[in-house]
Amino acid sequence: MAPKPTTSVQMSSALRTLWTNYRSSTSPKLQTIDAFLVFIMLSGIFQFLYCVLVSSFPYNAFLSGFSSTVGQFVLTASLRSQVNPQNRDQFKAVSPERAFADFVLGSIVLHFFVYNFLG
Amino acid sequence: MWSIFKLALPLVLFISPLLSQAGSSAGSSVLVVLEPELKREDFSLFFNSLEKRGYELTFRAPLDKTPKIAEHGIPAFSHVIFFTPTTKSEKKGEPGFAPDLSPQSLVSLATANQNINILIALSPSATPFTSLASEFSLSLPPPKTPLISHFPPRPFPPTTLIIPYPETPSPLLTAGTPPILLSGVSHAIGDNPLLVPILNAPAESFASDSEEDRQADLLVEATERGGEGLWAGSQMGVVTGFQTKNGARVMWVGGVSVFSNEFAEAEVAPGQKSGNAQFAKDITAWTFQETMVLRIDEATHHSASDPLTVPKEMYTTNEHLTYIIQLSAFDAKTDTWIPYSSVKDLQLEFTMLDPHIRTALKAVDGVPGAYSVTFRAPDRHGVYKFVVDYKRKGYTSLHSSLQVSIVPPRHDGYPRFLSAAWPYYAGAISTSAGFILFCAIYLGAEVSGRGKGKGGKSLKGE
Repeated sequence: MAPKPTTSVQMSSALRTLWTNYRSSTSPKLQTIDAFLVFIMLSGIFQFLYCVLVSSFPYNAFLSGFSSTVGQFVLTASLRSQVNPQNRDQFKAVSPERAFADFVLGSIVLHFFVYNFLG
Repeated sequence: MWSIFKLALPLVLFISPLLSQAGSSAGSSVLVVLEPELKREDFSLFFNSLEKRGYELTFRAPLDKTPKIAEHGIPAFSHVIFFTPTTKSEKKGEPGFAPDLSPQSLVSLATANQNINILIALSPSATPFTSLASEFSLSLPPPKTPLISHFPPRPFPPTTLIIPYPETPSPLLTAGTPPILLSGVSHAIGDNPLLVPILNAPAESFASDSEEDRQADLLVEATERGGEGLWAGSQMGVVTGFQTKNGARVMWVGGVSVFSNEFAEAEVAPGQKSGNAQFAKDITAWTFQETMVLRIDEATHHSASDPLTVPKEMYTTNEHLTYIIQLSAFDAKTDTWIPYSSVKDLQLEFTMLDPHIRTALKAVDGVPGAYSVTFRAPDRHGVYKFVVDYKRKGYTSLHSSLQVSIVPPRHDGYPRFLSAAWPYYAGAISTSAGFILFCAIYLGAEVSGRGKGKGGKSLKGE
């Protein structure tokens, strides 16, 4: 019997399998949305770390910047779930075009509030 | 005859200013109060040198009623010289001085707005000036105790001292002058900051009522008591000046014979004439406001970023302000005020109850007489003053105070974008930019994917 591989080797091979399955099984449209989600999440994490480690001054700027990322993340995640063909049964009343239109409208309102509060 | 006079008059008018070599910044009329016991000819060298320097001398005995020193509180003369060593305040029941020459009127004149400069020669006798000197924080020894020194051996009596200048003499005196001869009294100099010590007695001198060694045991007792009651040593002054708060100068000289012809022409060392003539010139130059006289020509302020340098009534907190002051000194040779850039320790205080900023004013290169400094206004708003308060011994005291308001920034005076917030600005902008980019890519994919099918509905991008 071959020796059992170590935990780190197991982890890295599991991640590699996850990554190749993800690339092959999800449609390009959903991968675009996922890339945007990752970007927004990193931006939000960076702003939060800056606030905690360096300074929360000016607080209003932090709140608006952070809520911009959080709000955009929520809207994009809801777009992804409404546009995913596997969820077609749950969203019969919402066509993908309508989902995208909602997403854009919501984003515009969000950005308006963000820039108003950013100071 | 008349035609000769007509020809000569312009010539005389032209030459007469050239004859006077120097001037005082306070006027040229001098009242000399000379007691009848002294003869004017004995001081002719001194008086002639004063007249050559452009002063008009008026002589008067202490008991004369005219010319009055002041009319209705306004001085009629710019300067007064008192050569009255033996005139007592009362002689056989009669006053020794005319009422307008009493010490009280002198003090009030010297401290009034129109000030008057006074040169007083003291003496071992008890004159009114003995008690007046104590008002100026100078303590004189008991009456009839002149200053005596038994060293160095010299052809003069022990009451006539040879006083050399110290290594670094007072700035009023010309360095390199030969030692002077003095016969009179010393005085103890008090704590008053307005006093200007000029010349001190020699270390081996003391005040005593006899030249012989009759009182030697008393002197020994006094030295055992630590010098109490003994006017001796080099801490005693013989010539001291005093500058009142509004600039009048009073000079106290230990003996009137300092100015006499006899001492001016005597020899202190074989072949070396005494320095009395030069000494008299130096101290009268200081007393009569010729030397070490400063004034502020102009003091202004402006915002450092203002190219037009207009002084404003109010400035903002944390704004950079520039303060400029112009000083002049009086030049006796040309009788004019010339810009003076040699002050090394001029200070500016930016004060609101307490100085918030205290900084040095440096001379500006290229602009004679100007001193300026640029500093940041404090973070606290309020009513401040630019205060320049320059008081140095011997120099005219300068004071200037300008009031400004420092106000907080207006609603649109604050910085628009804070540098501490750029990560948040970057986050918000990157989210929006990312959103637009995402929409473009998403719709582009939609259009290219559906182009064959439904003809690509154009959805509203944003």
